[in-house]
Amino acid sequence: MLKELKLTINGQPYELSIHPRTLLVEVLREQLGLTGTKRGCNEGACGACTVVMNGKSVKSCSVLALSANGAEITTVEGLAKGAELHPLQKAFLDYGAYQCGFCTAGMLMSCKGLLNMFPNPTSDQIRDGIDGNICRCTGYNSIIRAVEAVSRGDYKETK
Amino acid sequence: MSSYKCPVCIKVSNTPLDLARHMIGRGDKEHRDWIASKGFKYSELLTMQLSSFGGEGYRAISEVLERETKVK
Amino acid sequence: MSEKYSVIGKNVHRVDGTEKVTGTAKYTFDIVLPNMLYGKILRSPYTSAKIVSIDTSKAEKMEGVYAVVTAKDTIHKKQGIWRRFPELCDEEILCSTKVRYIGDPVAAVAAIDEYTAEEALNLIEVEYEPLPAVYSQLEAIKEDAPQVHDGVELNINVTRHIEWGDVDEAFKECDVIREDHFVCSSQAHMCMETHCAAASYSYDGKLTVWASTQASYYTQVLLAGMLGMREGDIRVIKPPVGGGFGGKFELDSAQFCAALLSKKICRPVRIVLTREEEFTATKRRTPIVYTSRIGAKKDGTILAKEIRGITDGGAYTGMGATALYLTGFFSSFPYKYPNYRYDGYRAYTNTEPTSAMRGFGAPQAVFVGEQQIDLIAKDLGIDPIEIRRINGMVPNYEVPGQAFIQSCGLHQCLDKIDNYIKGRGKLPANRGIGVAAYGFMSGGIFNWFDTPYAFSSAIVKLSIDGKVDLFTGACDIGQGSDTTLSMITAEELGVKLSDIRIHAADTAICPADLGAWGSRETLMNGNACKMAAADAKRQIIEFAAAKMGVNIVHDLDIRDGWIYLADRPERKVSYYDIVREAIRGRDGETIIGRGHYTPHRKGMISPAYSFGVQAVEVDVDPETGKMKLINVVTAHESGTVINPIGITGQLEGAIMMAGGYALCEDQPMDQGKILNPSLADYKVIRSLDMPKTEIIEVDTYEPEGPFGAKEAGEGLTNPTAGAIANAVRNAVGVTITSLPITPEKIFMAMQEKKAKEKKAK
Repeated sequence: MLKELKLTINGQPYELSIHPRTLLVEVLREQLGLTGTKRGCNEGACGACTVVMNGKSVKSCSVLALSANGAEITTVEGLAKGAELHPLQKAFLDYGAYQCGFCTAGMLMSCKGLLNMFPNPTSDQIRDGIDGNICRCTGYNSIIRAVEAVSRGDYKETK
Repeated sequence: MSSYKCPVCIKVSNTPLDLARHMIGRGDKEHRDWIASKGFKYSELLTMQLSSFGGEGYRAISEVLERETKVK
Repeated sequence: MSEKYSVIGKNVHRVDGTEKVTGTAKYTFDIVLPNMLYGKILRSPYTSAKIVSIDTSKAEKMEGVYAVVTAKDTIHKKQGIWRRFPELCDEEILCSTKVRYIGDPVAAVAAIDEYTAEEALNLIEVEYEPLPAVYSQLEAIKEDAPQVHDGVELNINVTRHIEWGDVDEAFKECDVIREDHFVCSSQAHMCMETHCAAASYSYDGKLTVWASTQASYYTQVLLAGMLGMREGDIRVIKPPVGGGFGGKFELDSAQFCAALLSKKICRPVRIVLTREEEFTATKRRTPIVYTSRIGAKKDGTILAKEIRGITDGGAYTGMGATALYLTGFFSSFPYKYPNYRYDGYRAYTNTEPTSAMRGFGAPQAVFVGEQQIDLIAKDLGIDPIEIRRINGMVPNYEVPGQAFIQSCGLHQCLDKIDNYIKGRGKLPANRGIGVAAYGFMSGGIFNWFDTPYAFSSAIVKLSIDGKVDLFTGACDIGQGSDTTLSMITAEELGVKLSDIRIHAADTAICPADLGAWGSRETLMNGNACKMAAADAKRQIIEFAAAKMGVNIVHDLDIRDGWIYLADRPERKVSYYDIVREAIRGRDGETIIGRGHYTPHRKGMISPAYSFGVQAVEVDVDPETGKMKLINVVTAHESGTVINPIGITGQLEGAIMMAGGYALCEDQPMDQGKILNPSLADYKVIRSLDMPKTEIIEVDTYEPEGPFGAKEAGEGLTNPTAGAIANAVRNAVGVTITSLPITPEKIFMAMQEKKAKEKKAK
């Protein structure tokens, strides 16, 4: 009944036994306790569960965990390097790009996936990149300003 | 100046129209029962008030109030 | 020490910022307790039905199921947030004999996991006897309509009336009178975190509840009433909350069912509502049908307004009674109507209950009022800005018998928006700018909850190293009150923001506060925090004055960690040193400052009001009626700005929410069933549709607020729908009187207009 699953999450390899119907978001939140990733709708419409898988942002409520076998996954918990915040996190703080914070993890990971694809995105590309993420609090514009600041190089990433 | 006393509660108004407003507006059982006892349908008066202007719903009642509730 | 403030008005990171951007913030949604069970709620599939029988025996026998509760497990009480009025406490939560809408709870299950709980729901056998139902407020008040609540004739739940002046006489003096009908639709709060609660009842009879709530104090008190427990035996903790917007300050089914299940078996139970439940079985914005009559003199002076509204109350009262009142009061805003009359009615229907939502009746009132002002301005041939200038409220204005307005920057806001519009020059075809003015309250004065406590309270405790623990019942639901209140406390006490650690909304350790609604936290809780900080400061200064041996004619103050002579700032001692010594000098007694605030002699509505004017530019596609929001410029004033980043966020977020109300957010129903209970079908404004936003801050100072601050967030939801409707009229010449303003409505109205023009030729 249970199946083997190998994943690397935030640089840490895991070997898990899971029920085949388990979703990636369930593995992250319930099996590994990585509750930074949220669930807002369970149908891929809100983006709160967004993580970066093999460099691209995906909605982890729409990914069967088994289909992610062998993947490298980054969640919000893996953004900061030790005590040093990721540039996107610093920019989110400076620009007030979050309020209730429930969409923030997913939003950050969508932005990360976007910057992986386009290191210097236009404003329209940023809007497009986070169009799958609903934020009920901020009205998005502060998020866009934060991503622009990162792409301008206002925040140096520690190597 | 004459005044008009609500037949079921303590409200006193300067005009019968204002008292009619009060009675329909208050809309609790006592007020509705009094309105019904005069042969009106409260819901019809209210619907009239909510869908048209000119206060026809109030006016009908105010005529009765004018006669029955005037105090010196 | 040149600047007026050290902390206030500065761009700071929110105090909960790092935990939110790193994913370490633990929401109720994330809480897992040892031995915890997962709960699910069985809900009515009928809009109206008699419950003949409920058989839970099969579900109870299922492996992995630990408890099932129905109305039989309750103490048979009805609850409501209008506690002063028992007839308005009409909600059992777990229905005993009758269900009143699709989604009304009838049973709840606690099981080893959510899948099991879900399956167990299928094993509960409920026999219903369907009853006739009613789905709209205008149908509900008919003589032959079925009664939603037995004994409530005509389904009239509440009526509210506001009046001043002599409206009938005033209309006789008007040169122009307009009468219009408007229909305002519903809206879902659509919080990212659905309603959820984790409850843990211990063997010693104490209950702890972690809840996604806007008012942990209300949750505590209402739960006590429904469970037959003492308030002090219930502790409600509010972790970070994933949005509230008015939808989370009543006792809800997740909180009540989790608590009831936990109490039955002494194990922790967590219930998280699904997104579908969130859409269909919580509360929603109040739909209202209005008739409004307004009269003016030729010169643009408005003499009278008479407005009637009937709200679709849905199945229960909740905060809907307040919405009914506030839509009546804010229909008079922000103008000096010398004669005004409002008659409001709330009718029960067999639909999802309607209640508070950001703006609380005011966005509906402003949609109606601001369109009508524009329309009468047009009738009179007066510029829309000008008519607002002629009639707009001014500082120190008294709304007759209702409210007293102290600070008011409406006219400065009008000037700024006037300049902006003039600067835009001539617009391309099918483009238009619409304007709406608004005002909003800074917390309500009304006490229908019947709390015996001060509306807001705070306690400040100083540690030996001068660090400050701030205890307050205020609820940060994302709007940022933890940060704002920490800033106010730091400023008053004269310490750094990082010296403050806030402990908020835990009913066991924090003094009561009425919670985050009606834009009350900054002013009301801010005043309490400021008073608590001042109390602690006085105790420190007493010691410092003695220690420094200053002449008593000098006044001491604290700022940036220094205690100094107000008129000789160079004579100073370290705050941190003095605190250490002061505590020793008091035989080790902790320094505690206490503060509380309840508005007195401030009218009937609110202690303060903020104002603003918004201009929205839209582009309408005449072929399809589709409209795009181009730019939203808002001039607003909220007294002293405590947290500027916070205000920007509130404003831009309000545009997303209020723009959604105007354009696309709606909950259409068929026979009482909501047709779009998912995020795929419920359309909100996403990043690609979000317009540009510009903010113009107008400087005002509110004497009643902490450091001059007042409301800054909820009111911003008010103007947008009205401004958009006015913009559409200015773009393509059609008036849309019902929400949402869909492409179909614009297209049909344009067709109708064309046909009329053709006929006229």
